[in-house]
Amino acid sequence: MAIFNLKKREIECKVVYYGPGRCGKTTNLEYVFKSYKKQVTGEMVSINTEGDRTLFFDFLPIGLGKIKGCDIRVQLYTVPGQVKYSSTRKLVLRGVDGIVFVADSLEVRREKNMISLKDLQSNLKEYGKSIFKVPLIMQYNKRDLADEGIPLMSIEQMDRDLNRQLKVPSFPGSAVKGTGVGVTLKTCLMETLKSLQREFKWAK
Amino acid sequence: MDISLQIKSLLNEAELYRAQGLFPEAKDKYHAASVMIHKIDKLKNKDNLLKAISGKIQSLEKKTEKVETGPSSPELSEKGQNLIKNLFGENDLQKAVALAKFGQFERAIVELEALLRDDVYRVDAGKNIIRCKMAIASVDDAIDQYHQWLAGDLFNGHQLESIRTYLQPIIDRKGIDKILPVPVSEKDEINTGADSGGIEFSMPEPEEEILDITSIGITFTSGTHKGKMVEFDVNFQSGGTLSLIISKNDKGLIEELKKGDDLDDIQFYSPIAMFKGTAVVANKTRIDTGPKQGDFCLDLKVTST
Repeated sequence: MAIFNLKKREIECKVVYYGPGRCGKTTNLEYVFKSYKKQVTGEMVSINTEGDRTLFFDFLPIGLGKIKGCDIRVQLYTVPGQVKYSSTRKLVLRGVDGIVFVADSLEVRREKNMISLKDLQSNLKEYGKSIFKVPLIMQYNKRDLADEGIPLMSIEQMDRDLNRQLKVPSFPGSAVKGTGVGVTLKTCLMETLKSLQREFKWAK
Repeated sequence: MDISLQIKSLLNEAELYRAQGLFPEAKDKYHAASVMIHKIDKLKNKDNLLKAISGKIQSLEKKTEKVETGPSSPELSEKGQNLIKNLFGENDLQKAVALAKFGQFERAIVELEALLRDDVYRVDAGKNIIRCKMAIASVDDAIDQYHQWLAGDLFNGHQLESIRTYLQPIIDRKGIDKILPVPVSEKDEINTGADSGGIEFSMPEPEEEILDITSIGITFTSGTHKGKMVEFDVNFQSGGTLSLIISKNDKGLIEELKKGDDLDDIQFYSPIAMFKGTAVVANKTRIDTGPKQGDFCLDLKVTST
């Protein structure tokens, strides 16, 4: 849940990158860390395990400066994608204000995307939140692999699989190249701030 | 497509999946390529090719095993632990509990033991030490810890009884045939009543046993936050009364709540279950002194679960 300091006109909110294992959540954050130096306000911390897989979470604090007279600070997190870290995913998701769901465009990962999205829905539900109401953005990552001749799902198919009911903004991306990373985050932040405005009317 | 091109394509895919860390997918493609190669009779270097693929598969199996059998919560560096404390806890108790939630039990115990000196946190810290002991050692260690506290003078009888009533059901559920001794002062209270021989009052019905609640989600049914669910950590619990410390920064969330208000939609989170219920605001007070000065203490009486 966002922290408001109305006296100091400060808002701190939490955005979580969710998605199946190896889909590119950490790579998204690494790109943000490398490329948005002006906004980054601290070190990126990654707690990894064997094979460079996220063990607990990655964390990156950024600042958006003043918006409508409020100083906006954002904590970006990733969750561990591996199925066995279910309880950690739930812990990191606690108090989330906005979510980027990173889906893997590889055809062989189709089912894993859907399982992860279901997992997100179920974890949100346990915190009393609806996946239909929380600010959520989809990123269809690894589009660059089409050049390598690897079978990818079409954007239309991914929209049908994952976004048919949700109808949230979605973007193709290639986190290793940085394509789509900025627009995904920017849209998520806009949706998150709009949602916080509806809830707390901070921008008066 | 020409069969050699198909094999090449499968190997190319397998290699890319391996590089992406998608080991099962890579293994499947190597297998498919291997099956295809087996079917070709007159292939140059067939045996060498199959041997190379078999080697790749074995290497993938080793990597998969390493990933799957790796510790789910290894001990982190102090820096990592400090980050968890700061990101996932607001007060000292929450910080220590966050460490435990992320499997950093040894450090959590150190932090919790320090909190035992604080009268406000003592019982919760004690219960969480019991949880940690059970997670890293065994129920027997938790029982030993209880006996140590029972023999010492850190806890008063009432506090120890709260820990006993927390631990005993866990022991029972695990089928361990051990009864924890009731703290002396609690026994005295019971005995005094029974042996007094004076006027007998009809005893009130015992309160229904309520689980340890770690946090709650209140869905507001009126006011500015109508329809919104807000989560709060439970700082203290005494039977069916939950005390929440609300930071002055979150004052707005509880501003409209007053003593006697019914909260008809509450989600209770306990270490072993989640359930819905109702509660009534028993008290709302501003803390005027100490480190929590300016914060609010909200007492809720659970009315149904």
